[in-house]
Amino acid sequence: MGLLTVLKKLKQKEKEMRILMLGLDNAGKTTILKRFNGEDIDTISPTLGFNIITLEHRGFKLNVWDVGGQKSLRSYWRNYFECTDGLIWVVDSADKRRLLDCKKELHQLLDEERLAGATLLVFANKQDLAGALSFEEIRDVLDLTSIKTHHWQIVGCSAVTGSHLLEGIDWLIDDISARIFSLD
Amino acid sequence: MTSPQRYSKGLENLCIEDGDVDPINIISGQESNMFDEAIGHIEDVLMDPKFQDLQKSFLEKYWNEFEDSEENKLVYMEIFKEYTDVVEKFIENHLILSMKDFCMESFTSQLQERKDELEGEVFEILFTFTDFLVFKEMFLDYKAVKEGRVEDLGLNIHVTSV
Ligand SMILES: Nc1nc2c(ncn2[C@@H]2O[C@H](COP(=O)(O)OP(=O)(O)O)[C@@H](O)[C@H]2O)c(=O)[nH]1
Ligand SMILES: [Mg+2]
Repeated sequence: MGLLTVLKKLKQKEKEMRILMLGLDNAGKTTILKRFNGEDIDTISPTLGFNIITLEHRGFKLNVWDVGGQKSLRSYWRNYFECTDGLIWVVDSADKRRLLDCKKELHQLLDEERLAGATLLVFANKQDLAGALSFEEIRDVLDLTSIKTHHWQIVGCSAVTGSHLLEGIDWLIDDISARIFSLD
Repeated sequence: MTSPQRYSKGLENLCIEDGDVDPINIISGQESNMFDEAIGHIEDVLMDPKFQDLQKSFLEKYWNEFEDSEENKLVYMEIFKEYTDVVEKFIENHLILSMKDFCMESFTSQLQERKDELEGEVFEILFTFTDFLVFKEMFLDYKAVKEGRVEDLGLNIHVTSV
């Protein structure tokens, strides 16, 4: 590890967390991000690059990175892994056709060495849509119970209505801070 | 450097007698000197006009890629990686040239040991090199100058505070 990477890790304070939000395109990542930031969610276009926001919540500072999820962009995800405390994987619960692709991409990420220490939160998004699978169904299709390498949780939510988003974030913060405190 | 109390809890059984030198403390004394010396050299690097030239030519190479829009292009992150690599290499080379026996690995492990004491301007500046948002801001400032929207401020705002 180089000098600057070491310094970057050391600088991260106890109350500061780096959160990486990934998932297939159209899952609702940017909508979730804007919703947290209190921005308008009606004018969001597909993400070709990445967005960063800083959230203050419960005395924690969360740096949330949202990277575009189109197939052609996924090879760039690796550039964002370093120093990640929490991974949010966003799923379009109504997009049944692509759930296997979604599962494959998620499990590939979990094999990444640089994400080894990260807590995983899965947002089963778009629960407001009539055709959406429940979070239990998503859990089974994505085979989450087979994950032994990461702390994980799945929460059914809707970025449009805002339901259960905070619940997910609160769990994520609790898990990360418990991990960081137990290390010190 | 030796603290007598360190021997009082059972360690006296381990063949340390009066007048013996504690090898552990010699090493840590040397390390501490090396550490301070290295920090001094890093301070020199940050003030070195060659380092500022390096930054400037980096800005020159890529400022055209940057746009003042909310969404970031993927290429920014690649440029950021290259930037931190270049900066890191420059600092490392300087340390290797100016200190015989310099070893980056032991230096970074000392940084880790002293993580609560990393204060002062040198560290403030080093930390900014690891911060993507600072990096992006630096490019947008440079772009504004290049496009004549802002007066040239010397283009080394980010290093002048040393
Ligand atoms: N019904 C519904 N639509 C959503 C929800 N979240 C996002 N969307 C829509 O899904 C589309 C893709 O959202 P976006 O945030 O751009 O997805 P991203 O590619 O993952 O960033 C947009 O049209 C959003 O309005 C949700 O919870 N419910
Ligand atoms: Mg998006």
